[in-house]
Amino acid sequence: MSKYLDLSIKEIHELLVDKKITPLDLVDEALERIEENKDLNAFITINDKVREEASALGEVEPDNIFFGIPIAVKDNIVTKDLKTTCASHILDNFIPIYDATIVEKLKENKLLIIGKANMDEFAMGSTSETSYFGTPLNPHDKKRTAGGSSGGSATAISGGLVPLALGSDTGGSIRQPASYTGIVGMKPTYGRISRYGLVAFASSLDQIGPMTRTVYENAALLNILVGEDDKDLTSVKKEKEDFTRLIGKDIKGMKIALPKYFVSDIVDEEISKRIKEVISFLKENGATVDIVDMKYLDTAVNLYQIIAMAEASSNLARFDGIRYGYRATSFNNVDSMYEKTRGEGFGDEVKRRIMVGSYILSGENAKTYYDKALMVRDDITKEFNRIFKDYDLIIGPTTTRVAPLLGTSKDDPHKAFMDDVLVIPVNMAGLPGLSVPVGKSSENLPIGLHIIGKAFDEATIYRLASFIEEVF
Amino acid sequence: MSEFIPTIGLEVHVEIKSKSKLFSSSANSYGMATNTSVNVVDLGYPGTLPTVNKEIIRQGIRACKVLNCNITRKMHFDRKNYFYPDNPKNYQITQNRTPIGTDGYVEIEVDGIKKKIGISDIHIEEDTCKSAHRGSVSLLDFNRAGVPLIEIVTEPCISNGKEAMAYLTKLKELLFYANISDCKMEEGSMRCDANVSISKDENMGTRTETKNISSIHNVGLAIEKEIARQEEVLNNNGIIKEETRRFDDKLGETILMRVKETGNDYRYFIEPDIPYLVITDEFINDSLKTLPLLPDELREKYSKIGLSSLQIEKLINNRPLNDYFLGLLEFKTNYVTAVNLLLSDVSSYLNKHNKVITDTHLSYEKLVSVIDNLESGALSNKNVKDLIDSLMENDLTIEELKKEFKIENITDDRFIEDIITKVIENNTESVNDYKNGHDRALKYLMGQVMKETKGTVNPKKASDMLKEALNK
Repeated sequence: MSKYLDLSIKEIHELLVDKKITPLDLVDEALERIEENKDLNAFITINDKVREEASALGEVEPDNIFFGIPIAVKDNIVTKDLKTTCASHILDNFIPIYDATIVEKLKENKLLIIGKANMDEFAMGSTSETSYFGTPLNPHDKKRTAGGSSGGSATAISGGLVPLALGSDTGGSIRQPASYTGIVGMKPTYGRISRYGLVAFASSLDQIGPMTRTVYENAALLNILVGEDDKDLTSVKKEKEDFTRLIGKDIKGMKIALPKYFVSDIVDEEISKRIKEVISFLKENGATVDIVDMKYLDTAVNLYQIIAMAEASSNLARFDGIRYGYRATSFNNVDSMYEKTRGEGFGDEVKRRIMVGSYILSGENAKTYYDKALMVRDDITKEFNRIFKDYDLIIGPTTTRVAPLLGTSKDDPHKAFMDDVLVIPVNMAGLPGLSVPVGKSSENLPIGLHIIGKAFDEATIYRLASFIEEVF
Repeated sequence: MSEFIPTIGLEVHVEIKSKSKLFSSSANSYGMATNTSVNVVDLGYPGTLPTVNKEIIRQGIRACKVLNCNITRKMHFDRKNYFYPDNPKNYQITQNRTPIGTDGYVEIEVDGIKKKIGISDIHIEEDTCKSAHRGSVSLLDFNRAGVPLIEIVTEPCISNGKEAMAYLTKLKELLFYANISDCKMEEGSMRCDANVSISKDENMGTRTETKNISSIHNVGLAIEKEIARQEEVLNNNGIIKEETRRFDDKLGETILMRVKETGNDYRYFIEPDIPYLVITDEFINDSLKTLPLLPDELREKYSKIGLSSLQIEKLINNRPLNDYFLGLLEFKTNYVTAVNLLLSDVSSYLNKHNKVITDTHLSYEKLVSVIDNLESGALSNKNVKDLIDSLMENDLTIEELKKEFKIENITDDRFIEDIITKVIENNTESVNDYKNGHDRALKYLMGQVMKETKGTVNPKKASDMLKEALNK
């Protein structure tokens, strides 16, 4: 069996340019790997036209290193003519007639969408166990979660099925699975990447991002995903930049903050220990690392539960069985059609969040909870900005523990949020955050370092991440 | 027993004229084939996002201006959440907390008394789709989904049906003249709901809402009927319930649709997909630049150039003719004669051929020369009547037309005098009748003059000269 997919993107690209291999070879290898690792449940749908698309690619463009490379796309990103389910029964027959803006970008750059990656239903969950299509497994230990909600994307990269994947991150859904599976996952600044075609969970928090094996490949993939989009008013216009430009630079003089909360007793000892090792390494290499006090970080999970659920309850209202998706078969009137369609179409976690969200927005609650949450959210942003006046980056562990065993968090919905306690504050402030592997635990499970940057300063995050990646 | 005092407030929805819809690029046009002006945004497909059509914000600003409202400088949109099949996303994007305009008024005059009807707010929102029920199935036409609306809400300060009608007439005239809306109630581009309550003291009574009344006349009727109904209920010791009613124009009564249960809970929150809009002075000035003269400004202008109030109202009621006449004011001519001509022969021609004036060949230059000829007597009113089709349908000048139709009106006084002398000699009986005070004789004699001259003499001139000769 060929092993082209284990090579770096640069190496694969050279082989393509030298005509030693074709995109079809890569696609066939990926399909073979997916088939061999079917038990990993990384994909919901395989693109049955991908071989055709690979054959039709034409001449390689030497300046585009992604030409002909297979990529996995999280199944909440709409793909024209390719089923997009959001891992939900309610959309299990939904074939979009339009592409998400980033899917258009993938196609322009001649990447090949191998299939749609498994995830938590509507991205609601931390272990991908809420998927209607089975749970993706952690390739490092199949009894353990690959994290969530972008669990399928993480599994696909970590299991070596494909070298590139897209995820989405509303409250850590890229970074936490990246940490659990030992890959690189970036949630860019809110507004960096168009959300047009990303099925909305919590509109003010959702952001698409790249998930890859290496920091360089992550930054390079981000290069082609970003940009203002007329179809998404929340996307932001920025000068074009090369996110790989600071990779390879040393870290002398870098000023890094470590919030106390990120190394408090909520974090497993083994992980705290690893973070301390990372800190010593950074100091040895000329960076300063200061432990700082930051307010409000511990409120982020509560804010998330209010803001995300409220927005979700409204965003998911459109799934009513009228225009697309699943519709219950027997009903007497419109109300019973809604009830049955949504009752049968959504899973428990989604229903729970819709109910909580509806309650939060009802009557006076909107003021008591939602409006107040927005105010505290502003305070978190201010708190981050205060730290960023003196520091280039903020670091900490991505998760409080290594990937937990499957089946352990399903019974306690609240506890599941605790997997995201360290990553959620970043969504609240709309900042970029990345998880990069920093070795493994005693159980041989990956540990991730979380690097948070200033708004639109992804390049500095990549600089530090690549420096660490070389060593850990 | 003291009298009940009615309190009435109106909520008016008007469809805004624009090329495309409020939040998508679909065409905003009435009367297209079912479901042809629709895209994935209008249908609320997963992952789609709203974009804001700036032209509609401009229209909103114009509406603020003509309705004397304060313009909100920093505003956002809100989601109004409710399930209904005609509501594609199951939330409507509207403006709840920051309506574009507040604290305006419209001045009306009823029975010679002027009154300001206060407008509490005007806001921009999207229309729903249109549903039709056929037996056991319901059909949906999404052409209307996302069509821009302005909702105009009055203070509860209207006292009776007459005032309501005067307000609506004025509102319609203003919005129509400002090119904001067609305001066609029969096509649904203007819709009115009336809130009515009655009370004997300072405390307001329980109000009912009568929805979607189909004409201004019916609004007046519905309000009077609803006041009478409520009086009867209260006089019989009944209680008024908060309810939604409709007006049945065949029965001439308001009819109960549904009793309102606990206050509607629309779970409003700020639309996260649309950033705040900041309205600059420049944007406002730019928007108002294209605002045409409004009816009251026209009335003042027209009365200054000597038009009668009847002529003024007729002109204002005929928008195309009014706009044409406004253009004529750039030329020097007798405007009263011009308006007479426009409202008589020209209007009959237009009505007969179902045309608007801009579709004819009646250039301003041509109209001015017709008026000159009428003034000099070279053309008679009868000539114009005979020539009207040619005037409107071809590019010949008046001189060319006169030649073609062999019109050579006699302007030579000596010639007319000779004819008059001849008529007086030949009709001594009628001359005597005239001298004995029979006015009819004058008409007969005048007829004889016209007959002798074959209608080629200016009748007014001839009539003046005849009278002079008879009175000698």
